[in-house]
This record gives sequence, C-alpha cells and structure tokens, in this order.
Amino acid sequence: MTDTARPETPVPSRGRAGLLSRLPRTFMFGVLILGTLVLIAIFPEFFAPYDPLAFDYSAVLQPPSAAHPFGTDNFGRDVLSRVIHASTINLQIAIFATITPFVFGTLLGAVVGYVGGIAETIFGRVVDAVITFPFLVLVIAIVSVLGPGLVNMYIAVGLVGWVFYARIIAAEVKVQKRLDYADAGRAMGYTHTRIVFRHLLPNSVTPAIVYWMTDMALAILLGSSLGYLGLGAQPPAAEWGVQIAEGKNFMATAWWISVFPGIAIVITGLGFSLLGDGLADLLRTRK
Amino acid sequence: MPEFIARRLLQLIPTLIFILVVVFALVRLLPGDPASAILGDRAIDADVERINRELGLDKPIPVQFWVFVKSFATGNLGNSITLKLPVSQLIADRLPITMLLTFMAAVISLLMAVPLAFVAALKRDRPPDSIIRGGFQVGLSMPVFYVGLILLTIFGAKLRWFPVGGYGDGFLDHVYHLFLPAVTLALSLSAILMRNLRAAIIGVLDADYVSFAQSKGLATRLILYRHILRNALISTLALFGLSIGTLLGGAVITETVFAIPGAGRLMVDSIYGRDYPVVQGLTVALAVLVSVTFLLTDLLQAWLDPRMTK
Repeated sequence: MTDTARPETPVPSRGRAGLLSRLPRTFMFGVLILGTLVLIAIFPEFFAPYDPLAFDYSAVLQPPSAAHPFGTDNFGRDVLSRVIHASTINLQIAIFATITPFVFGTLLGAVVGYVGGIAETIFGRVVDAVITFPFLVLVIAIVSVLGPGLVNMYIAVGLVGWVFYARIIAAEVKVQKRLDYADAGRAMGYTHTRIVFRHLLPNSVTPAIVYWMTDMALAILLGSSLGYLGLGAQPPAAEWGVQIAEGKNFMATAWWISVFPGIAIVITGLGFSLLGDGLADLLRTRK
Repeated sequence: MPEFIARRLLQLIPTLIFILVVVFALVRLLPGDPASAILGDRAIDADVERINRELGLDKPIPVQFWVFVKSFATGNLGNSITLKLPVSQLIADRLPITMLLTFMAAVISLLMAVPLAFVAALKRDRPPDSIIRGGFQVGLSMPVFYVGLILLTIFGAKLRWFPVGGYGDGFLDHVYHLFLPAVTLALSLSAILMRNLRAAIIGVLDADYVSFAQSKGLATRLILYRHILRNALISTLALFGLSIGTLLGGAVITETVFAIPGAGRLMVDSIYGRDYPVVQGLTVALAVLVSVTFLLTDLLQAWLDPRMTK
C-alpha cells in the first residue's frame, strides 16, 4: 500500500509501538496452540498411548497415574487416548461447520451492503426472521428432522450461520461505501464489482474474519453441545462433548472422565480466540 | 422517532409471518407421525384416522396452515400429546422460568462485563488488561454444559451452597435455585460483551471529540459517562439484542444440566417425544420473545443514537 497517486483505501495506522510489540505474541501463541492441535489431530495414533475404544475391565475408573495420565473411564478406556483421538473430529467440526457460512455470507453481505435499497430491505427481513429463532433450538430442531450425526449438523449450521457473516459485512460495507475513497473510485469510473470486491470488501472483511475465528470456537462448543445431548457425534466415537456426557454421572467420584475433555475444548477455543485477536490487530485498517 | 417506532413495529409483521411459515414447515418435517406417537406402535388404523382427524392432519396443507395461523391468533394451541395439557398453559407455566433465567443471566453478564471492560480499556495493554482478557477468553471457550457441570459439582454437590437442581417455591427461592444456572449462562455472554465493549471504549477514547473534551478541560469522569459510555453502549446493545437467541439456546442446555422445568427443557423433551403441538407452540413463543427483544434493543439504540432512525 505504498502508491499514493490513486484514490487509496485507508492505510492502516501501525504507529503504536506497544501494540506492535504485543501483537505477534497473541498471534504466535494462537498459531502455536492450533498448530500443535492440528498435528495431533492428523496423527492421533502417533500420540495416543492406547486404543481409544479398547475396554479394559481390569483398569476401570482409575485416577490419573503414570500409566494413564488422564485416568480411565467406567469401561477402562484410556481418557488421554480418547481425548487425543477426539481432536480429529472436533477440529473437523470447527472447519466444516463454518467455511460455507463464511464464504457465502461474506459475498452476499458485501453485495447487499453495497446495493442497499430493496435488497437491503429483503435481506433485513430474512436476517430478522432467521435470527429470531434461537440458533441452538433451530439447529436441534433441524438435526432432529434430519437425524443425529455430524453431517446433518453441518447442514443445519450452514442453513443458519451465513446470516451472521452477511449481517456483519453488510453493515461494514454500508459504512465504507459512503467514504471518500469509494466516491473517488466511482468518479474514476471503476465498475461496481471492482469497487465492492477490490476496495470495499478488503476494508470490511476484518470483523468477519475475526468473527470466523470466534465462530470456529463456537462451532466446537455447538458440536460438543449436540454431542452432549446425543444429537452430534455418536458413541462410542470419541468426541469431547460425548466424553463429557459419558462422565457426567461420575463427576463426584471420577472427575477426570469429564474434566480433561473439557480442558481440551477450552484450549482449542483459546487457540482460535488468540488467533482471531491477533488477526484483528494485524488486519486492523481503521482507527 | 415516532415514525421510526411505527416503521419498526410494522417490520414485525413479515417477521411473524415468516416465523409461522418456518415453524409450520419444520414441524411437518419432523420424523414419525403424531398419531403413532400418541397411540404407540400397535395402533389400529381406525384410531390413527381418528387422531389425525382430531389434529386436523387429514385436511389439505393450505387449510392446515390457515388453522395453524388461526390457532396462534386465538391462543388455542391444542393439547400436548405426552403431557395431556393445553399447550398454551404449558407455555404460560414454563416460559416465565426461562425468561427469569435469561434475565438473571443478562443482568449478571452486564454486571461482570461493563466494569471489567472499562478497567481493561483504560489500562490497555497493561497487566490488568491482559488478566481480564485472558480470563474472559477462557470463559468464552467453555461450553455451557461443562461450566454448569463443574459449578454444579463444586457449589452444589460438594459445598452444598446451592441446590443441585429444580426450581423451588416462591420468588426468592426461584432466584436462589436459578443463581448457579444464570451464572453458567452469563459467563460466555459476558465474555462476548466485554470484548466488544472494550474495543468500543478504546475506539471512542481515540476519537477526536474525546480529545477535544479533554483539551477543553472536562473532568475525566464526565467524559467517561457522557461521551464514552453512551457511545460504547450503542454497539454493545446491538450485540446484546443479537445474543438473546444464543442466551435462550444456552438456556436449553443449562435447564437440561440443572434439571430446571423451564421452556428449554420442555423443548428438548418435546423434540425427543415428537410432541409436535408443544414444539411448534414453543418455537413460535421463543421466536416472538426474541423479536420483541430485538425491537426493544433497536428502540433503545435509536434513542441513544438518533442517526439510527434514518
């Protein structure tokens, strides 16, 4: 962004020295957490000490020890191995449940925000209607129509989730299109497509990307919630929500069955949040 | 402003129609037919026909939809299949519990978010900011059912400070029973609000009119209340309105974890039990509740920022 001859989009101000020195840490920490997780999720067999599905009735409900760092559950299955193998499913949920809504919602939102008028009015009604249904209730209802399982969960989330991205982008584009650089672009005779996708969208997409990171964390929460209710991943498959549900009746006596999968969820969510925050700082183009 | 209110009220109408259409369609797509859900697997055809006639399921779809709309207009929503009670009575019994729970959660989350957001924004990038943001980031990453399970085990089962479930008798007892669930529900919302409010406050802090107010020599506290809080609250309000749906969704899980006989619990039970008059009545009731909340937050926002009415 060094050429200044053309009408230019607002240049990010990166003047604050404190910000700059703090920035890479948040971001790198997020990258570190998620990088490790992705590695574990791709090669779970390499990291897991036991078979996640193998019953061992000689080692039932054992507290954490050297042999079983996270203890064993009521079937004698190694909790650590189950947590490790579950990461594959849970990271899949984070990505598959959010990518379609992000792409579709962002593009549609940009067009709606730019065109305005009747498109905005219609979109506004659709958004109002979709978001008036409590998200989880709607997803549970759709999943119960389609049947429990992960693919049906992706469909249910996709049907609803795009609205949030579209709403964010539409609002941003609506602000951006009134700024001088958009007028200048129009005065220069740029096509609408070029103004929207080359100039307005890059300046509006930051909140949507940041929201995407949050949304991946939310997708893991949603996936595990459905798993907990018995509507998501199906036992005996290891999934963090399913594991927490399996251990809930043992909370007072064998806390490790539920607590460790929960910590895994928190760490993953933290990774996405840190990454989102880091990205927000990196990509900040205003203020 | 009156024109804006009128317009916003008018916008409710297509939203309500859309809600009715979606719920009508969704419920008819639910697996399993209501007649066999009522009668069990060994139902004879004559009985199935009788039930279908009673429920109006033998009529053409447009007629069914008309009957459906009329039932909501009159408040006569039919009877629950499993609980044998009028749906309107069930909603009147259960929904206030969920409303109290979400209201308490909303208040608790604001009480947590606003002061902490100010501290974090004013001490930006210094240790208090990092600690607050770190803490809330962890809160944001915790699933509602996990937080609930842990609070329930520690404060309910082990320490016995709070009941492990149920709803109690009398208003104060209700509040006491709902306290742990409300904290559970409030945690993630307060994290979202805090994050947004902190960013908004920082944005306002950097704005020219705040520098101007400072250069005029206005007291910092006056600037905080008159200029910063008002402007920062506007975007938070929008987020708050948007979060009501999430909050009600969270209530479904919280009520399941804490065994609270609210609308969320009723919803889950009804979906499992294929109790479709309850599912449709409750979904519409929840959606209406959310749209009314949107309306209120929109009006509040317009009052705080008159530019919104344009």
